[in-house]
Amino acid sequence: MLKKKFTAIALGLTLSASSLLASASAEPASAGAAAAAKINDPAKGWDTLWYHVIRDISIIGVLFALVTAWFIWQSRRRPGNEVGASPKLSAASAVGWTVIPIFVFLSIDLYTAANGWVLWNHYRDVPAQRMEVKLESGMYSWDYTYANGVRTQNELIVPAGTPVVLRMTSRDTLHSHYIPDFRVKEDSMPGRVTYLWFNPEKPGEHIVTCAEYCGVMHGYMAGRVIVKAPEEYAAWMQQEETKLAAANAPAVAEAPAEVAKPAAKATKKI
Amino acid sequence: MAHDAHHDHHGDAHGYDHGHAHWDTSIWPFVISFGILFLAVAFSYQFVYHNGFAAILCLGLAVPMIIAGIAGWTSEAMGKGEGLSYGAMGWFILAEAMIFVSFFVGYWYTRLHTEVWPPAGTIELPRLMPMVMTAVLVGSSLTIHYAEHLLHLGNKGGFRLWYLVTIVMGAVFLGMSIYEWSHLMHQGFTISTNSFSTVFFSITGLHGSHVVVGLAIFLAGLPSVIRGDIDEGFMRTAGLYWHFVDVIWFFVVSQVYYW
Amino acid sequence: MNLKEWIFTTDHKRVGVLYLIGSIAAFGIAGIMALLMRAELSTLGPTITSNPATYNVWLYTHGAVMILGFQIPALTGFFANYCIPLMIGAKDVAFPRVNALSVWLFYVGVILACLTFFLPDPPDVMWTGYPPYSIMTTGNTAMYSFTVLILGFASIIGGVNFLTTVAYMRAPGLTLNKLNIFVWCTLAAFVLQLIFVPVLGTAVTLISMDKYLGTHFFDPAAGGDVLTYQNLFWFYSHPAVYVIFLPFIGVVYEIITAHSKNMVFNYKMVVYGGVGGIVALSGVVWVHHLYVSGMADWLRIGQMITTLMISIPVGLMMIGLIGTLYKGSIAFTTPMLYALGVVFLFLIGGLTGVPLALPSLTIGVSDTYYVVGHFHYVMAVAGTFAIFGGVYHWFPKVTGKMYNEFWGKLGFWLTFIGVNITFWIMMDVGVKGMPRRYYDYAHFPQFESAHQWMTVGAAILGVGFALAVLNWIMGAINGKKALDNPWGSPSLEWSTVSPPPHGNWPTPPSVSEDWHPYGFKKD
Ligand code: HEA
Ligand code: HEA
Ligand code: CUA
Ligand SMILES: [Cu+2]
Repeated sequence: MLKKKFTAIALGLTLSASSLLASASAEPASAGAAAAAKINDPAKGWDTLWYHVIRDISIIGVLFALVTAWFIWQSRRRPGNEVGASPKLSAASAVGWTVIPIFVFLSIDLYTAANGWVLWNHYRDVPAQRMEVKLESGMYSWDYTYANGVRTQNELIVPAGTPVVLRMTSRDTLHSHYIPDFRVKEDSMPGRVTYLWFNPEKPGEHIVTCAEYCGVMHGYMAGRVIVKAPEEYAAWMQQEETKLAAANAPAVAEAPAEVAKPAAKATKKI
Repeated sequence: MAHDAHHDHHGDAHGYDHGHAHWDTSIWPFVISFGILFLAVAFSYQFVYHNGFAAILCLGLAVPMIIAGIAGWTSEAMGKGEGLSYGAMGWFILAEAMIFVSFFVGYWYTRLHTEVWPPAGTIELPRLMPMVMTAVLVGSSLTIHYAEHLLHLGNKGGFRLWYLVTIVMGAVFLGMSIYEWSHLMHQGFTISTNSFSTVFFSITGLHGSHVVVGLAIFLAGLPSVIRGDIDEGFMRTAGLYWHFVDVIWFFVVSQVYYW
Repeated sequence: MNLKEWIFTTDHKRVGVLYLIGSIAAFGIAGIMALLMRAELSTLGPTITSNPATYNVWLYTHGAVMILGFQIPALTGFFANYCIPLMIGAKDVAFPRVNALSVWLFYVGVILACLTFFLPDPPDVMWTGYPPYSIMTTGNTAMYSFTVLILGFASIIGGVNFLTTVAYMRAPGLTLNKLNIFVWCTLAAFVLQLIFVPVLGTAVTLISMDKYLGTHFFDPAAGGDVLTYQNLFWFYSHPAVYVIFLPFIGVVYEIITAHSKNMVFNYKMVVYGGVGGIVALSGVVWVHHLYVSGMADWLRIGQMITTLMISIPVGLMMIGLIGTLYKGSIAFTTPMLYALGVVFLFLIGGLTGVPLALPSLTIGVSDTYYVVGHFHYVMAVAGTFAIFGGVYHWFPKVTGKMYNEFWGKLGFWLTFIGVNITFWIMMDVGVKGMPRRYYDYAHFPQFESAHQWMTVGAAILGVGFALAVLNWIMGAINGKKALDNPWGSPSLEWSTVSPPPHGNWPTPPSVSEDWHPYGFKKD
């Protein structure tokens, strides 16, 4: 009898969990199909998901804490209550007290996992409309190289409205290119190329800071992402290109001009 | 250490009134521990501070302390085994096996992440020698097993013979490893040549060090074998460790020589 | 008192007390490092040292000593040694000399860790020791490797010893379903140690080989891979957090049952579901420390789910604890305050691990003070509270004397206030972007006042902890004489005199059919 009830509850919970999982993971597919140009900005997604997860764990925590506080209060030692009197659990309720929480927790977990995974995919799917910059980190600087060969140090200058992907490596220790405002970081290391992307929408300045211990000056390894209006960016890039061309004067100076625009290669995954 | 004895209870009836009853002590664990401290310090002097003299000094403290510690411990505890050491050795082997697992996983991880394998600078490894070595090691596992069998039947003389044969075979194995290492090193293939040589020498070296430990356990038991007061529990435990060393060799051979 | 019989002792209780003294000393040293760091961070720019390298050495020592020299030895050294033989009705452990070896190796490890302050070029690799930095640094990485190796080896032989002891030396009639929860938890922790410490040992050996012997395990230029280390390291160091968690929650179970005189709630759920589940999952979640380390993308999904699923067994253990309070008879003694503190504050620590389990959210907060806040809530708060509560709980048994309740409670409330100020603010600044392991936060001036509050909190909690330690020292010297069984517990360790003599009982106990370690009766 009881057993049946448990199985029913358990089944129900698993089903609801898996349907949640399904609905959550269904979202990106449809969205992706509907509008290829739409950019799933992870930074915004991060804020929403963070809020949701914090809310959920707060509810769980407060619930547990309230129950605990209530139990402590009502079973404090006082005359007539010198020794504990917890009821003995029947076999069925012992199993119930194990199985039901398992399924409740499992469904919360799976629900959280599904949402988390959707956002993760946004983080890793680089939009087709993007600009690629190479980054080499070193003790203690961020060295950027644009597609046309322009280089900057500790300042990544990008146009507003174009997603930027960094292809990162390191010439010495581990570093981690962390832009708090865009909610992204990823380690760079010798021997591998890692990537991250972000979507600078409005002109402005954002701090870049190193989030992986890399040596004595780790705390001082900072830079900036400077987002300029597209026209300003183009002007700046023009200027840099001229400088670069002047520097390599004897070499062929024709090519870079068009690469400077955001690379429009359409490979979706890395 | 797995053959430690349960401490003997001097003055057995510990009544509650015996507030000043004798508490068991042994100085050897203390001596060994601090020997190991000096070992660590010696390593630092040699490799970090390049102070060879201080390193030798520390080593001169460490090695006698450790050896004296082990010898003192063995003579104190030998023959008082409780038969628990066999089970304990099982757990210890689990831990040991995990060391090998992590070396192998490190190796696989590296290997499966590179396009060219073996990397440039690798030479052709000998193919026959490892076969012979395998045969010797497997043989020694069989001989120790047979020796234990004889001991169980009460045939101490037979046990002694096959026990010695096992030790000799272990030593032969070790000799062949050393020969092979020096051979390879002469051809310029050393531990720092490339990532394969690193793996090769460290894994075979790790295994070799286990052979050394296995042999050391056998040698620690040798005096009692010669005297004839053989502790069967100790021998079974030593044998178990030796079988483990043997089994690991199969992985070493197949993974680093023939793959 | 015969000093020689203490130093060369092979008795499990004395070995345990040696472990306690050593680990509390380690806690004091690492705690002082923490206070130095807090002082340094209390203003923007240099405060008490103008050399970032000095700060890094403090941080290295703090992390390594707190975990390897304080919590693991206090839990699997002191509590395991003192309590397990007594709880299972054994005269001693299976291999008393091995036990003595393990405690002295522990001391050697702590000494090596503290040599840091006297060495030229002290190690500065953080407790994680990631290459390539640990290989490139001029610091003494070998010291780090040896510290870890020696402490690890001490722990392995301890594990072998205790697994054998519990397997073969239980009192007659003491079946597996009558073991104290603490015994189960600690055994599980030892199994984890046996399986995973060797992996850590290998990892740290390999960095020293790369640095000093010229090998190329982690050198990409010669075909090695820097990420191998991180995988090996976390393959151990994640289970290590459960090596801490399991015994400490076991201690909390002992305290809560004894001070509410109540049967543990749903014993089998706690043991098989909780402890068993944690052991089963702990080896397959390490990737959650590598979410932003640049591994292949797909590697994360499986371990994201397993990491979240850890909340199931841990949740069951929480239900067991809270259920034990129900209809109990709760006395608000000092140990009980600490244990109740763990119940509330571990919820904060554990639940803040949930967002970290998601790779997408971790991208925002990994390597920030949010993570630092998370793990201080679980370890520095819940873990330390459990250890302190446990020491108070068994204090009458160990010393035969009583501690002072007033100072005990005062110490508790000070720490309780202090930890919540310090570690809550940590999580908050972390979410706002404050990265960890920063000597100076020059480009985050907005966090200065938050850092000052953390420093204030640290000072308060430091006073609280110090009061507790002082209380023990005073109590051990001239406390009132304690009863043999002051809490009225049926658990076997209380059935002998305090302090127990060598051999523990005149005749080893055996237990009857209807006995249970938590079967409390009216006295
Ligand atoms: C005792 C130590 C301890 C414990 C128990 C835990 C427990 C957990 N930890 Fe923590 N952790 C550390 C010590 C510990 N951790 C340390 C030291 C680090 C940093 C190391 C470094 O980088 O230096 C770290 C870092 C760390 C990270 C890496 C962050 C990063 O560097 O980017 C992650 C990511 O997943 C994580 C997750 C978790 C999770 C999910 C748990 C879970 O076990 C928590 C489970 C508990 C609960 C969930 C609460 C109780 C349960 C319920 C009330 C049931 C209902 C709840 C649900 C259904 C959700 N931890
Ligand atoms: C169990 C583990 C543990 C414990 C208990 C603590 C305790 C504390 N920790 Fe620690 N901490 C870590 C584990 C722990 N920590 C780890 C693993 C790291 C990461 C390291 C890394 O990045 O590699 C870290 C990092 C860390 C940081 C991050 C620094 C950075 O990233 O730059 C900070 C910053 O405030 C901090 C602060 C504190 C404080 C204030 C305490 C306080 O709770 C300490 C309070 C204790 C005292 C003040 C001592 C009290 C005095 C006595 C008991 C008297 C002693 C008496 C005698 C000796 C006779 N810790
Ligand atoms: Cu670069 Cu930290
Ligand atoms: Cu973890």
